[in-house]
Amino acid sequence: MKTRDQEYRELFMAEALEYYDSMSRHLSELERNPDAGPALNELFRLMHNLKANARAMGFNDLGEVAHHLETLFGLIRDQERTFSGSLIKVVFSGVDALGNMIRAVGAGQPLPDATALLDNLDRLVRGEEPILEAEDAGESEEESSKKMELSDLVYIQVKKLDNLLNLVGELVIDRDRIMTLAQELDNPALLATAQHLFRISDDLQYSVMDARLVGVGVLLNKFPRVVRDVAAAEHKEVELTMSGQDVQIDRNILQIITDALLHLVRNAVSHGLETTEQRLKAGKAAVGQLTLSALTERDDVLIQVRDDGRGIDTEAVRRKAVDRGLVSANTAATLNEQAVWAYLFEPGFSMAQQVTDISGRGVGLDVVKLALDSLGGQLRVESELGVGTTFTLVLPTSIAVKGALLVEVEERPYAVPLLHTDTVLSLHPGQISVVGGVFITYFQEQSVPLVPLRQLLYDEGDGPLPLATRDDITGPQQVLVVNYNNRRLGLVVDRFIRQQNIVIKPLSKPLDTIDLFGGVTLLGSGQVCLVLDVPALTRLFLNKRP
Amino acid sequence: MAEIELATTPKTERAKPAELVQLIVFRLGDEDYGIRIEQVKEVTVTPEVARMPKTPPFIKGIANLRGDIIAILDLEERFRLRPAGRPLPERSYTVAVEAADYTLGLMVREVPRPFTLPLSQIEPAPEFVQDAGTRDKYLEGIAKLPEGGIIIVLDMRKLLTPSEVLRLPGKGASS
Repeated sequence: MKTRDQEYRELFMAEALEYYDSMSRHLSELERNPDAGPALNELFRLMHNLKANARAMGFNDLGEVAHHLETLFGLIRDQERTFSGSLIKVVFSGVDALGNMIRAVGAGQPLPDATALLDNLDRLVRGEEPILEAEDAGESEEESSKKMELSDLVYIQVKKLDNLLNLVGELVIDRDRIMTLAQELDNPALLATAQHLFRISDDLQYSVMDARLVGVGVLLNKFPRVVRDVAAAEHKEVELTMSGQDVQIDRNILQIITDALLHLVRNAVSHGLETTEQRLKAGKAAVGQLTLSALTERDDVLIQVRDDGRGIDTEAVRRKAVDRGLVSANTAATLNEQAVWAYLFEPGFSMAQQVTDISGRGVGLDVVKLALDSLGGQLRVESELGVGTTFTLVLPTSIAVKGALLVEVEERPYAVPLLHTDTVLSLHPGQISVVGGVFITYFQEQSVPLVPLRQLLYDEGDGPLPLATRDDITGPQQVLVVNYNNRRLGLVVDRFIRQQNIVIKPLSKPLDTIDLFGGVTLLGSGQVCLVLDVPALTRLFLNKRP
Repeated sequence: MAEIELATTPKTERAKPAELVQLIVFRLGDEDYGIRIEQVKEVTVTPEVARMPKTPPFIKGIANLRGDIIAILDLEERFRLRPAGRPLPERSYTVAVEAADYTLGLMVREVPRPFTLPLSQIEPAPEFVQDAGTRDKYLEGIAKLPEGGIIIVLDMRKLLTPSEVLRLPGKGASS
């Protein structure tokens, strides 16, 4: 994996070479037509950008040459100098020098000395004649032998990458199919070829996925400005710390969570952190701490937004949820804090006392939840009153391939993304109790409601599920414990098939409105397999709970 | 094409140039039904259909048609055209039709056949034939054939609106 330095260097090189090419082009244009305003403006801009980039990367000599040329073009633009005579020569050699310096950076060599050139540029700026050395003949020969080079980096539209990834997805599906057929036919030659195909398409898939990875930094680096603006608007003092910009993630996933992250950060400054006055009164440091960090955990990428603000007032959320009629007062009293916090993600649920420009308009955390659900991600909340709050976005590294557990219900396979699965259990009837018409089992000292997946999928109508009775349980029960929004639910299935990486295809219209399914996948056997949407299943269970 | 025809056709006959309509004709129940060929994407032997929970019974499920996952509909069931005691055949055919912006498969019992007839032969369907329950009128008309018999011409674009396809039984409309 590349270091960030290497990556920045490559980006710098790609951009610098592009600048150099356009400079040469515009310079030729200017030579033909000294009054070409657009070319002049463009040259000025290119020099300015190159100067800034070079200085940011620590290539000060390169920056210096660009700076001098920029000054000179500024004068030409303001018509204090004309693009004529010896100036032309110096400018051309200046741009050549830039080219040489850029190449030296690319090759990791020391930058060539440019003192004479800088002196000449200074003279031109002062209005003096440059001192041209009399080795023109030799130089022109060097010119003719000058090599042209192309950048090692290719810019590519995300759309093209998306298409590539889709095609690879199709390939992987067919590959699995061929693999299955080869095993069934048991022909050694076919099997060997199939295995080779398997390896190649695996490599291909990871290469394409790798090409889509970008550092989380490309998103995080936009936040210092956001935090500054929100803090200024709210009259708060905030210090932002960031880490993990190198963590790699699929570019489209970053795109999808951009708004969600923006929301969480604004929220942290606006709701989470207190004003300086309040902080001092509470015995905290005057400046609020906000941390944005990314890290990898197994196959997932975690992005955390942590503040050391006032924390979530669980009792206030509980009251608000009851006021808004989301839950009855009796039930609310029994909910633990995680369950109470889940209401923060209901549409239109805002805890803001007053509406400000930043927050409190009821456009709430549900936006965050939606974005994560669409990715099959999760949101974790930790909070302590008076100490601070941490929101953690759990994201897949790539949207292309997902680990899934295949289960069977009524002789049909269904896939459950691993991201939402906790564990599988085989329970004998003695381990299952009936509480209020719902099956319950105890797992890790927590009660987990159980529901036959068959009932959730196939029972018609909106009515509540039938009351569970002990008579329904005969023999051991296969249970898949899923987890969504910190709620655990045990799905009783007929059989576990296997764990497998799947490529999820979205359901097309008009069936995409059935939210119980996150898509479909094709199994090696050619069978169509529906992918279950755990958030929707959990919601359905909560709605239909007897 | 049209312009050339206009130029060569005498003015008196201009009112009825023989505009032809190509239909894909298939059998539902005991009648022939037709769809304009431009609304049909392909005709194929019905692939393996996976049952899809939470859909009305006339949606048989979903199938993989050359990489597209499409819904397979049983129009006999949708229109209640299947006489009692006549089961679905073992081997059926699927007409893939293009609705507004998606593709759907219609399951039919016999090989569908193409049929060309003049547009003038298609008469608007009488109002009372239309299903009173639906807002959109999905019968384009009825074609009377010279040798007797009729073809009921369906307008797929109107029949297969999402609300129509997802018309769930009872009040069980899950969001």
